[in-house]
Amino acid sequence: MFLDPDKRVDLSTAAGMVADGDVVALGGGLSARLPMALIREMIRQGRRNLHVVGSAHSLDVDMLVAAGAITVCEESYVGFEQDFGLAPAYRRAAESGTIQVKESCCVTILTQLRAAEMGVPFLPVRGIKGTDMRRLHPEYAEMTCPFTGEVLVVVPPLRPDVALLHAPLGDTRGNLYMEQPYVLDEHFASAARSVVATVDKIVATEELVERGITIPAHLVRGVAEVPFGAHPASSYPHYAYDRSATGAYIRAAGTQESLESYLDEWVRSTDEAGYRDRQGSAELERLTTWSESVDAWKGLFA
Amino acid sequence: MTYTIDEWFVVALARTIRDREVVFHGFGSPCAQVAMHVARRTHAPDMLLIEGAMYAINPDPPFIPPTSNDNSLKQGAAYSMRFEEFFDAASRGDVDRMFLSGGQIDGYGNTNVTAVGPLDRPKVKLGGGGGGCNISATIGQLTLWTTRHRSGRTLVSSCDFITDIGHVTPAGDRKALGYSGGGPQWLVTELGIFDYDGSGIARLREMWPDVTEDDVRSSTGFEFEVASDLGTVEPLSPAELAAVRAIDPLGVRRSEFDPGELQRTFEVALH
Repeated sequence: MFLDPDKRVDLSTAAGMVADGDVVALGGGLSARLPMALIREMIRQGRRNLHVVGSAHSLDVDMLVAAGAITVCEESYVGFEQDFGLAPAYRRAAESGTIQVKESCCVTILTQLRAAEMGVPFLPVRGIKGTDMRRLHPEYAEMTCPFTGEVLVVVPPLRPDVALLHAPLGDTRGNLYMEQPYVLDEHFASAARSVVATVDKIVATEELVERGITIPAHLVRGVAEVPFGAHPASSYPHYAYDRSATGAYIRAAGTQESLESYLDEWVRSTDEAGYRDRQGSAELERLTTWSESVDAWKGLFA
Repeated sequence: MTYTIDEWFVVALARTIRDREVVFHGFGSPCAQVAMHVARRTHAPDMLLIEGAMYAINPDPPFIPPTSNDNSLKQGAAYSMRFEEFFDAASRGDVDRMFLSGGQIDGYGNTNVTAVGPLDRPKVKLGGGGGGCNISATIGQLTLWTTRHRSGRTLVSSCDFITDIGHVTPAGDRKALGYSGGGPQWLVTELGIFDYDGSGIARLREMWPDVTEDDVRSSTGFEFEVASDLGTVEPLSPAELAAVRAIDPLGVRRSEFDPGELQRTFEVALH
């Protein structure tokens, strides 16, 4: 438990709470609430040998793979859905064997996190038998239920070293407010040894209490205020997904060489203030107009 | 009025849903996603629609965005499940139907969304299966679909990797594996519609009117049965077509199709 009354840190300190070789849980999912500022800052700091775990993810994992920061990937999905398709850097690394793919299943990860949360050495799952998932996971086992005689696959606890979460709002103590879907963030927070968070804005505790606290401060080791800290993922209620900035990454990701130029230009040669400047304040502000009308919202995806 | 294959295709998916079913689609599945809303707006008004990666119950989104966890997809929903709330319901058998696709699908309806080719050096690393490898075992029935049948690479004699469970796997059938879910009930492709016979093998039931049995056979890597009353997919109704166009003004369903397929047009009778 983390009991300091003031958990505020700058982004560099926050990213420094992740060590090379850590098992890192990535919060959010797909195009929502990805901890992108922390991802970019870890790339600036040259983090290496990470083992990432989570559910369905996209740019966060792909960018870390592109930067050579990941050794083991244990996500249930990495990609850009039907819109931009397969994840380019992840795919190249998996096909050339430069990362170890321990692809998992949302339910299995959830069950393993629950085992860690409960402090028990294993839990059973309903599926997996008949699939090839155990070829990727020799650590799973089978067990006969002492009550029914059923044979079930059992999985060990998953206790990430650190969970990286992004929330739209937080307070100085580290309480976090999120909108649904919370995906696995609540489970990551309880199961991981620590939570490092970014928030778009730090507000008074009273305001958070009014909205409802999603992740309590005692689970959070550090919180950094970073406007547009999830960009180009969404962070509702503040801003929608930036499909066009994501498309720019995908276009740059055709080869590792062009991807290196992208990382140099957008990540390594600047900090987050510089990143926001280069994205353009008008373009970022446009993402906050989703609530004005259905046409404005729809227009962000056109 | 003229319409295109993507519109008819999502209606065919929608018709696999019965009213008062509890139905779920995964992420990256715009055709299934549009189909669920079409069903709820036409023949299945009292279905329980669980919106993909939002886990929102019966939302009325103003449009379908090209990513499946945007807040637009929970508009109008009185309640959203937590992540674990949905997966627990699916695991204990409270979800009646799920839509599943795959880069490879075999004759028993096993699907591969993990990797094509050898696992240590895949030819194509696919995205991954989300929660499918557990909940395909316990959900009541599965509607499988693919828009890439004609490629000849999708419906295969055996999957290079089984991510999600069909009727029979090398480790045994559903009964032997102790699975409560019924497995694949339908397989809808851009060429035709299959159901499954008593031994769990796909059986061709209907084809689109511009497709021949030879087209289906030459694109399919597994042996399949043909129904004695092999027919043509039931035409679209104006109400179904209107529902497709209303729920998907951005046309995200089209992102699943090869551009050549989208040239296939049909006429709907207005009466």
